[in-house]
Amino acid sequence: MIGSSAWTRRALAAAGILGLVFLTVPLLIVIPMSFSSAKALTFPPPSLSLRWYETFFGDPRWMDAMWTSTVVAALSSMAALLLGGLAAYGLRRGTFRGRDWAEGNFMGPLIVPTIIVAIALYLGLARIGLLGSFAGLVVAHTLLNVPLVMMVLGVAIREFDIRIEQVAWSLGASWWHTVRRVMLPNLAPSVFAAWIFAFIGSFDEVIVTSFIAGKYDTVPKKMFNELILEVNPTITAVATLLIAFTVVALAAVALILGRAGKLKQTIV
Amino acid sequence: MRSNGFGFIAPLLVLMVVAFNLPILYMLGLAFWSKEQGFTLENYEGLVEAPVYLRVLGNTMRIALIATLANVIIGYPLAHWMRGLQNRARLIAIALVVLPFWISILVRTYAWIVVLGNGGLVNRALQWLGLTDAPVSFLYNELGVTIGMANVLLPFLVLPLFAAMIRIDDRLLQAAASLGARPSTIFWKVYFPLTLPALAAGTLLVFILCLGFYVTPAVLGGGRVPMISNLLDTLINQIPRWEQASAISTILLIVTLLIFAAYRYLDRRASA
Repeated sequence: MIGSSAWTRRALAAAGILGLVFLTVPLLIVIPMSFSSAKALTFPPPSLSLRWYETFFGDPRWMDAMWTSTVVAALSSMAALLLGGLAAYGLRRGTFRGRDWAEGNFMGPLIVPTIIVAIALYLGLARIGLLGSFAGLVVAHTLLNVPLVMMVLGVAIREFDIRIEQVAWSLGASWWHTVRRVMLPNLAPSVFAAWIFAFIGSFDEVIVTSFIAGKYDTVPKKMFNELILEVNPTITAVATLLIAFTVVALAAVALILGRAGKLKQTIV
Repeated sequence: MRSNGFGFIAPLLVLMVVAFNLPILYMLGLAFWSKEQGFTLENYEGLVEAPVYLRVLGNTMRIALIATLANVIIGYPLAHWMRGLQNRARLIAIALVVLPFWISILVRTYAWIVVLGNGGLVNRALQWLGLTDAPVSFLYNELGVTIGMANVLLPFLVLPLFAAMIRIDDRLLQAAASLGARPSTIFWKVYFPLTLPALAAGTLLVFILCLGFYVTPAVLGGGRVPMISNLLDTLINQIPRWEQASAISTILLIVTLLIFAAYRYLDRRASA
C-alpha cells in the first residue's frame, strides 16, 4: 500500500516469494531426481545416470502407452477443435434462441467434477457395451476438451471485428466461406493455442481414462496405476518428460500468441 | 435469408447430448429408480445408515476446508505482491503461476512424494537442522493430502485474484492516502473490500474442486485418507454397487452445482 513501511513491504515480498517457491519447487526437485542413479528417492541424488530414462524407453508397455496417448490426444484435440470452434462461432454470431443454455451445457465437463463425468460415462458406456473401447475413449476426451477450446476461441471470435465478416457477406460470401477464408486466417494464432491446450488436456487426462479405457493404457493412466502400487523411479523420468513437454508446448503458444499480440487476453 | 447460425452448434450439441447429458441422466436414473418398485429413495436410506459414508463425507469436508483456507493464506499475499511488481518481474511471476497450472495434476502430486518422502528434501532439511531425529511422515496421511491439494489448486485462486487486483485503480488508493488514511486503513477500508468478490469467487471455485478431487488423495493418501471420489472409485471398480455410487454422485453433483451458481454470481460481480 502507499506509504507502507519498509518492514511491511519486505514481509509481503517474503510471503510472495514463499508462495512461488511452494508452487514451483516440487517441480524443480523432480527434474534432478530423474537423473539419479539410486533406486530410493533420496535428495540430493547420490550420483547421476540415465538409467530411468533407459528403463522407460526400453519398456514396450510404456512405449505402447505413449503411442495410445499420442493417438488419443491427436484425434480428440482435432475433434474438439473442429466441433468446439464451429460451436463457439455459432454462439457468438448466431441469433437462435437458447444460446446461453447451449453454452452452459458445453462448459459442463469443466464444471461437473471429473469423477462424476467418469462415473456417468462408465455407466453409460457399460450400458451400450462400449466400455473399454477405443472409440469411447476418444469421444470422452473430445467432450472433456470442448470447454477449453470454446473458452479460447470464444474470446478470440468476440474480439474479431464483425464488420470484416459483414463486408464478406455483403460481397456475397456464404457463412461457411466467410469462416474458412476470412475468420480462420485471422484467428490462426488462437486456433493453434486452442489446439495445443486441448492436446495437453487430453495427454494429461487420468481420471476418466482410468475408469473407461479398459485394456488401453495411456501414459498418465499407467503412471497412476504404478504409483498406487509402489513408487518407482521410472515415474520420475516420466514426470520430467511430461514437464518438458508442457513447457515446450506452452512456449510455442506464448511465442505464437505473443507475435500476434494476443498473449495477454488469452492467459489472464 | 441468412440462417440463424444454429447449424454451427448442431454437431457439438449432438455429441454433448449423447455422450454427456444422457450418461448423467442415466446415472440419476440409477440413483432414484429400481426395477421392482419404480421411484425409490432406498439408495439414500442406505447412505444414512452406514457410518462409513458419513465418515468419508466428514473427511472430505474437513480436508476441503483446510486446503481452501491454506490456499487463501498463501494465495492472497502472493497475488497482492505480484500486483506491486514491475513489468519484467511481474511477467516472470505470472509465468511461474501459469506453468504449474498447465502441468498435469498427476505430475504435481507425484512431485510431493519426492519432496515429502522419508529421504526427500523436507525430511533431509529437518534432520540436518537437528529439528528431528527420525523422518517425519508426511505421506499417506491427511497432512500430505492437504499439502498436495493446496499446492495443486493454488493457481485457480491466484490467477483470478491477481486479475481482479490489477484492475483496481491506483488513484483510489492515492485519494485515500491524500486524505490522510494510514496504510493499514487504506488496505482494509479500500483495497481489501475491492478484492473481496474475486476472493470469494476464487475460494468457492477451489472448494468445489477440492470436493471432487480424486488423484491427489488417491496418490498422497495411499488409500488411508478416503475422500468422496475415492469412495466412488471403490463402489464402481472394486465392489460393484452402481446404485449406491450413483446416489452419492447425485448428491455431489447437486452440491457442486449449487456452489457453482454462487460462484457465478460472485464472479460476475467481481468482473463488473
